[in-house]
Amino acid sequence: MNKEYQVVIIGGGPAGLSAGLYTSRARLSTLLIERGLVGGLITETELVENYPGFPEGISGLELGQLMHQQATKYGLEILLAEITGLELKQGQKIIKTTEGNFTAKAVIIASGSERLKLGVPGEKEFAGKGVSYCATCDAAFFRELPVAVAGGGDVGITEALHLAKFASKVTVIELLPKLGASRILQERAAAEPKIEFRLNTRIEEIEGEEVVKGLRLRRVTTGEKYTLDVAALFVSIGIKPNTAYLKGVLPLDAAGAVITNDKMETEVPGTFAAGDVRHNSAQQAITAAGDGATAAIYAEKFISE
Amino acid sequence: MSKIVQITDQNFEEEVLRSDIPTEVDFWAPWCGPCRMVIPIYEKLSEEYEGRFKFCMINVDENQQMATKYQIMSIPMQKYFANGENVDEILGAVPEDTIRTMVESILSRFPADEAGRLKVLLTSWVEHNKEHSEKFSKWVDKASNPEVNQIYSSVLRAAQEMGKANERLSQALTELDGENK
Repeated sequence: MNKEYQVVIIGGGPAGLSAGLYTSRARLSTLLIERGLVGGLITETELVENYPGFPEGISGLELGQLMHQQATKYGLEILLAEITGLELKQGQKIIKTTEGNFTAKAVIIASGSERLKLGVPGEKEFAGKGVSYCATCDAAFFRELPVAVAGGGDVGITEALHLAKFASKVTVIELLPKLGASRILQERAAAEPKIEFRLNTRIEEIEGEEVVKGLRLRRVTTGEKYTLDVAALFVSIGIKPNTAYLKGVLPLDAAGAVITNDKMETEVPGTFAAGDVRHNSAQQAITAAGDGATAAIYAEKFISE
Repeated sequence: MSKIVQITDQNFEEEVLRSDIPTEVDFWAPWCGPCRMVIPIYEKLSEEYEGRFKFCMINVDENQQMATKYQIMSIPMQKYFANGENVDEILGAVPEDTIRTMVESILSRFPADEAGRLKVLLTSWVEHNKEHSEKFSKWVDKASNPEVNQIYSSVLRAAQEMGKANERLSQALTELDGENK
C-alpha cells in the first residue's frame, strides 16, 4: 500500500521548506523528502547577508535550521530518503523512494543544485587532498598556507574572504576578464591584503605529490603559462541542478534545469518546480523561497479545482 | 537510539584499531554543514548493524592528532577500518545507498567468522592462480627465443598441475558455499 499525501515535495532547501510551510498552513497533508541535510546548499555558506530579516547576517546552517523549524511547525512531515522513481501522470502521482512509495495529488520539485567541477587533470586525484568544494568545511586545515579559489562569483569571493582568516595568502582565479561577485563582496575582497586576483586565467592542471602542491595556470589573453604554489584549491565555479532522476520524466533545458511557467508549473499538470532546480533560476536562497511559496499556492489551487 | 561511538585522540586505538568488528570513523567538525548531513544516516546504520559493524565519530577540531595522522584535509571524511588497518574511505556527504554498499563490501571482504575468512582466502587464491596462468599462456603464445622455449615445456607441465590444483580449490570453495547455505 502506498501512503497517500496531498502534496509531496522533493528537496529540503529554502524552496522545498517554503513550499512545505505554505502547503501545511493550507492544511494540505504534505510530505517533504530530503536525501541528506534539511536546509540545502545554503547551509554551506558561512554568513548569509542577503536574506531579508537578518540585518546582521545569519549563518547558512542556522538559516537552514530555522526554516526547518518553522516549516514543521504546522504539520509538515519530513522523510530522509532517496528518490528511486517518479510517475507523474495526470491524477495520482507515484513517488518511489528508498523508504517506501507514496502517492500525491501534486508534486513540487525542489531538489536544488550541486557544485560544478572544474574538469581538469588532478581534480579527482587530489579530492580531499587539497581540492575542496566547501571552504567553510575545510579552511581550518590550511592555516598559514597559500591557497587558491577557482571562480570569482559571489560564492567564490565569500569563500576567499573566509579563507583569508586562516590561509597565509588567497589567490582568486577567474577565467573571465572581471569578477562576477556583487560589488560589496568585491570591495571587501579588495580591502583584504591576503587576497589577490588573477583574471583571464585558466586553471589547466592541479599538481602535487599525494597532496596538492600547485596549479598550472594559463593567461588566456597572452597564452603565457606559469605555476602557482598552493596547498589547496577551493572550487566555486558555479552550480548545476540536481535533476539526474528527472531525465525522461520531465522536460529539462540544456543545463538540466526544469522548465516551468510563471506559476512554477511544469508541462505535467500538478507538477511544479521551485528554486535552483528551475530554468533561469537566480540561484539565491531568497528567490528559491519565493519560488517555493508560489509553487505551493498554485499547487493548492490545482488540488482544490 | 543511535549506537555511534564518540572517539577522541585518546581512545582511537582502543575503539578503532583494536575493534574486533569492522569500524567506520567519521571525521567531522561542528562548523561543517555537509558533515551534519551524513550523521542521521550513520545513526540509522549504527542501529541496524549493531554488533556486526561499529560506527564512530571524531571531532577534528578537538582531536587534531588523529586528523593529522590520517592526513584529513577535507571533511566529512569517513574512513573504514578492519583488523586495525584503514582499508577504505568515503569523501564528502554521499547518499545512504553509497554508504550501505561500502559497509556491505567491507563486511564481505573482512568476515568475522572462520568459514567466511576461509572463503575470502580461497577466492583470492583461486583468482590469483587463474590470473597468473592466463598471463603465462599469453607469454607462451608469443615466446620465440629457443633457449627459453626449452625451459617453458617443463614450466608448462607445472602449470597444468597447478590448473588441476586450482580446480580442486574451486571445488572446495563451492563445498564451503554449500555448507554455509
